[in-house]
Amino acid sequence: MNYALKGKTYQEVSFTVDRDRVLQFCDAIGEDNPIFRDPAAAKEAGYDEQLAPPTFPTVMQIMTSGQVVMDEDLGLNYMMVVHAEQEYEYRRPLMVGDELTAVPRIADAYARGSNEFLVIEAEIKDRSGETVVVARSTLLSRGTAGG
Amino acid sequence: MEPRVRIEDLRAGEDAFSLSKVVKREDVKAYADASGDQNPLHQDDNFARSVGFPGIIAHGMFSMAHLTTAITDWVGDPRALKRIKVQFRAPVFMDETLVARGRIDQVDLSSGNVTLSVWAEVDRAGERQLPVKNSQAEVELS
Repeated sequence: MNYALKGKTYQEVSFTVDRDRVLQFCDAIGEDNPIFRDPAAAKEAGYDEQLAPPTFPTVMQIMTSGQVVMDEDLGLNYMMVVHAEQEYEYRRPLMVGDELTAVPRIADAYARGSNEFLVIEAEIKDRSGETVVVARSTLLSRGTAGG
Repeated sequence: MEPRVRIEDLRAGEDAFSLSKVVKREDVKAYADASGDQNPLHQDDNFARSVGFPGIIAHGMFSMAHLTTAITDWVGDPRALKRIKVQFRAPVFMDETLVARGRIDQVDLSSGNVTLSVWAEVDRAGERQLPVKNSQAEVELS
């Protein structure tokens, strides 16, 4: 892996939180709380809109991280990669209708033992430019250090 | 929505929540479609065997989603969840029972911040494995 790419930023990614996609996500994870499934129930509970579950930003991250992991300059062997860590810092919950953007960045790239680690950070912002959530994914490339 | 837990009732060292689910193949397939993560490790048994597993494994994020459901069910108001950081340390196989658990580490009455150790465990042939470990969550209750 090319550790010199630490700090590199990539192309901005746009993403709208779609109601059907949130429902599909809830079905897949077994989330039955009505505030994540039904706008009327969410409003009754005091929210402006139906919320997206806390790990829903992963849908945007998967779009976001593609251009990083496929970056030829980085030299990552994607077949050797596993998801090692995930962090979210929430400023507010994601809501249906949110129009979001993020600029993915290599926050860190390093070796530890025979493994290599890549930390991809995305500060996900809404239309007004306010940060909604900061997502940090650590990918582990098994046994590729020194190669 | 009112929080279900009151900060005055919480004590460091106490268990906060425990939520179980059986991990089904069709749910992991649905998760691949819903999340967009189509890695064959989570869909193709032959591929999973070729990299040393007995069959497909669940996405790490699938386990993290169950963990955050356990947290938001416990706390009541999803807005209370301020931060979560997890480590994925072991695979989860199909038809295993995944248990999301949390324990209270710190209670700060002045700020309303509560920090928890959180993890996900499975019982595999009588041994406790931790697919999610060394992980923390922070909720704000005021």
